[in-house]
Amino acid sequence: MLDKYTCLAKLAAKRTDEVVVTTMSVAMPWAAHSDGPLDFAHVESAMGHAADFALGLAIAQPERRVLCINGDGSTLMSLGVLVTLAQRPAPNLTIVITENGTYEVTGSQPVPGAAFIDYEQICRGAGLQRVYTIDTDDDFDAKLDQHFAEEGPVVFIWKIAPATEPVPKPALPILERAQRLRTALVGES
Amino acid sequence: MISAAKIIAALERHGITHVLGVPDNGSCVLYERLWEHDTIEVILTSREGEAYGLASGLYLGGAHPLVLIQNTGFLEAGDALRGTAYNMGIPLVMLVGYRGYATMAPGAPRVDTAATFFEPTLKAWNIPYTAMHTDDDCGQIDDAFAKAQETSLPTAVLLVAETA
Repeated sequence: MLDKYTCLAKLAAKRTDEVVVTTMSVAMPWAAHSDGPLDFAHVESAMGHAADFALGLAIAQPERRVLCINGDGSTLMSLGVLVTLAQRPAPNLTIVITENGTYEVTGSQPVPGAAFIDYEQICRGAGLQRVYTIDTDDDFDAKLDQHFAEEGPVVFIWKIAPATEPVPKPALPILERAQRLRTALVGES
Repeated sequence: MISAAKIIAALERHGITHVLGVPDNGSCVLYERLWEHDTIEVILTSREGEAYGLASGLYLGGAHPLVLIQNTGFLEAGDALRGTAYNMGIPLVMLVGYRGYATMAPGAPRVDTAATFFEPTLKAWNIPYTAMHTDDDCGQIDDAFAKAQETSLPTAVLLVAETA
């Protein structure tokens, strides 16, 4: 089992100019490492739609890697997007599914099917070919660089220990975050 | 009927790069013509909510997307629209098929609730809209783009007739 905070610290240490989209229980821990124009907390937003949002960014910005650190609950809310990702592949897109089996920010209620769901099988069944399940620190370290370099769409399923993050409260309202991101990517808001 | 060619001409005028959504009986001809287009990429989504997330990402990344769905999918996608394009201030134009419009006519034998709920929902969600019935209404698409840019918010053009 991985520790979410350790994984995010390692990812942040390797990160350069990639766009990083985060959700729910990852948003504020990631923001503690980085909260600049290329960081987008997909919160107070539409649950389940971080991955399609990230796909849009990746398609529009083909020269820039886009990482989406999604949750298992969020992924489950919009499973069809896995097929959308496969049928319109973006080589610069990395999807992380942080699987802790809980809706952490609402009090750690279990995600449906947490006891038996197999996200790797679901991803492969949806047509995604590069899918990796990671549940040890050694395996995480071995695959860390792939998060930034492997041809996308690539999915990493982090088997993480449950934690107790509260409801995320980003420093900026979502409208300002969006404008900031667009300015960073396009030069205008 | 509404000419797919005229709709596409309008999309070209406004530099649309991507059309996102789910085809339906009314838009199928338009989708078929768009698939043949040289510069506009069609991306089908599994469900309409994804179209709004995808469009929002595309726009923030510098592309010019448009959403093409039916009113049933619009209703389904409510929170996706709210949480992405609306909250993020995306000047997104959506063409939305008006399934069931004819069933609201007096004396119609059956009412399609996709139609009866449609315009009240647009109003409740603060989505400005107009309704295209024929080719003569194609200027509404240009107006929608202008409105979206003016407000930095999503705007809808309802396709009452099928495309041909």
